Amino acid sequence: MSKGKNDKGKSEKKPADGTTMDRRDFLQGMATVPVLGVFGAALAGKIITDKRSESAAVRKTTAGDISDLNIALLGAGAEGQVLMNACLKIPGIRFKAVCDIWTDYNQLRAVRILQKYKHDVTGYEDYREMLDKEKDLDAVLIATPDFWHAEQTIACLEAGLDVYCEKEMSNTLEGAARMVEAARRTGKLLQIGHQRRSNPRYIHCYEKLIKEAGLLGRITSANGQWNRSVQPDLGWPARYAIDPAVLKKYGYASMHQFRNWRWYRGLGGGPIVDLGSHQIDIFNWFLETPPSAVMASGGTDYYDRATHEWYDTVLALFEYETDQGMVRASYQTLTTNSSEGYFENFLGDQGTLNISESANRGGVYREPSAPPWDQWVTQGLLSKPVPSLPVDTAGAVLDVRETVSPDKHEIPVTFTDPYHQPHLENFFNAVRGTGTLNCPPDIGYETAVTVLKVNDAVEAARRLRYGKDEFRIQ
Amino acid sequence: MALDTKYTNWQVAGLVALRVLIGWHFLYEGIAKLMKPGWTAAGYLLQSKWLFSGLFHAMAANEAVMDAVNFLNIWGLIFIGLGLIVGAFTRAASLAGMALILLYYVCNPPLVGLYYTIPSEGNYLIVNKNIVELAALFVLFLFPTGKILGMDRLISRLLNRIRS
Ligand SMILES: NC(=O)c1ccc[n+]([C@@H]2O[C@H](COP(=O)([O-])OP(=O)(O)OC[C@H]3O[C@@H](n4cnc5c(N)ncnc54)[C@H](O)[C@@H]3O)[C@@H](O)[C@H]2O)c1
Repeated sequence: MSKGKNDKGKSEKKPADGTTMDRRDFLQGMATVPVLGVFGAALAGKIITDKRSESAAVRKTTAGDISDLNIALLGAGAEGQVLMNACLKIPGIRFKAVCDIWTDYNQLRAVRILQKYKHDVTGYEDYREMLDKEKDLDAVLIATPDFWHAEQTIACLEAGLDVYCEKEMSNTLEGAARMVEAARRTGKLLQIGHQRRSNPRYIHCYEKLIKEAGLLGRITSANGQWNRSVQPDLGWPARYAIDPAVLKKYGYASMHQFRNWRWYRGLGGGPIVDLGSHQIDIFNWFLETPPSAVMASGGTDYYDRATHEWYDTVLALFEYETDQGMVRASYQTLTTNSSEGYFENFLGDQGTLNISESANRGGVYREPSAPPWDQWVTQGLLSKPVPSLPVDTAGAVLDVRETVSPDKHEIPVTFTDPYHQPHLENFFNAVRGTGTLNCPPDIGYETAVTVLKVNDAVEAARRLRYGKDEFRIQ
Repeated sequence: MALDTKYTNWQVAGLVALRVLIGWHFLYEGIAKLMKPGWTAAGYLLQSKWLFSGLFHAMAANEAVMDAVNFLNIWGLIFIGLGLIVGAFTRAASLAGMALILLYYVCNPPLVGLYYTIPSEGNYLIVNKNIVELAALFVLFLFPTGKILGMDRLISRLLNRIRS
């Protein structure tokens, strides 16, 4: 346009040959160029909002004070090794000891791996001997079978150590209660291994989506499941079988029972306790209260009852009397079919949250009648909506143009560390005095009370109520 | 304003609006792809189901070819979009745009019996928005407006001056 202005004054009649340009030619020639300005402004606006929503979604954990901590691993089985591997990625953690009664198998393997990573570790069979001899430990990670947790945790706390103890806190309420008391008495830290409590994706869902944005509206229902395929009983290499006398000393009737302790009464709690406790813990967390009642159906329907004393299948119904009103929740564990794997769903009158520990699975779905979520997308709480793939629409009656199904928003926090790493880091930060525990014993106890009663409800075959003070240790 | 051709003012306004809107669409399609790191047309080509699908699949499988295809596609979209918006080389831009869209259409036409996993935001039977945009570009080609409201007016004057 400015060129047009420059031409002012010499606007003469355009000659017929069309070789000269007057002011009007410039104005007409440049008439649509300003559209580029509008386009540029729109593009800049879009880039800025997209950037903002992306950067809001990226959260960084700061390393903080990383003074070295001396730790011991108590129980170096499947989970013990998972914890150990996660710790190897955390700066400032020095393993000093590994205790495991399977000395020439699990213990030896863990010791060898740690030595390869230049940790100067000693192996022990008996945890009491370890506590006697290892005098410069700061903390212990306990990943033995559930029925050992109470005794070992209490002994470690009393020896002046901070403890990270795997879930289930204990196989008995009485044991879990003693753990809470011991932590209070000794003033030492006790973190229970419900690792989702430190998972950045779960924290984002609870703090940002549910609390801050109230995306789900009034939550009315929840459901969850852990379905897994048929699995053979766990075996062992014959030449590494443990001496029956040693097994007996540590409470196992046989090598089979030692390997498959989860299925035995008095040792574990079956799949509902093993798997369900993780996810029912999420119900309690997100709904901000433990339940008021439970009904459950379950049984050992598929496997051999002699070796599977706990139920291979459990379907449970919970009632949660939340501040917003009643929430009814269902949960199931199957051990004969893996359909849909494991996840938790929270359903409200404005939206649905689907979340799983598994491989960044999950999504948030807005109810068609709910107010728009664009504001939360801009703030980075949610990803932009991705249209859900039209399911086979044949035969369905559709709107004239659009396929109506709720858009999926991704949870914009991806998490690629080992699942247990943030929960361990949270524990170590608390040990160093730079953080507070995400799963202290009171929470672990609340979850233990919630979950252990499911087995009672199966047995009772009727609705059981939870007393309000049942969840608290006075 | 007085016009050099026989279009009425409203006809010019309508044609120029159509030109600018299609140009905007092309320009943003190009820029959006440019800004998406690692964007490639390979997924779209691999979806191809109809005539020439063998050719499209082979193109998608060859990295050097894909690099060229992506480059031509992105910059083609951007320059066609710019040309249509400012009215520069309008007829060439219209033709080039038709060629690009024809490729998209032939690659993944909504024909009876073909099912795609890339979701579309509407429902189409043979005719989709690509083919509609292609037809609109054909109209722009037949009724060019660059010399009325557009830089083609200045360009043609310059060319005439150089020639004379
Ligand atoms: N947080 C999670 O995601 C998760 C996952 C799996 C297991 N777990 C928990 O971890 C714990 C261990 O489970 P696992 O699958 O590793 O079982 P496992 O049977 O594979 O391992 C248990 C280990 O403890 C050792 N052990 C048994 N009794 C001992 C004792 N008295 N003293 C020292 N060592 C002893 C065994 O030799 C074995 O090596 C359980 O409480 C389980 O619920 C948690």
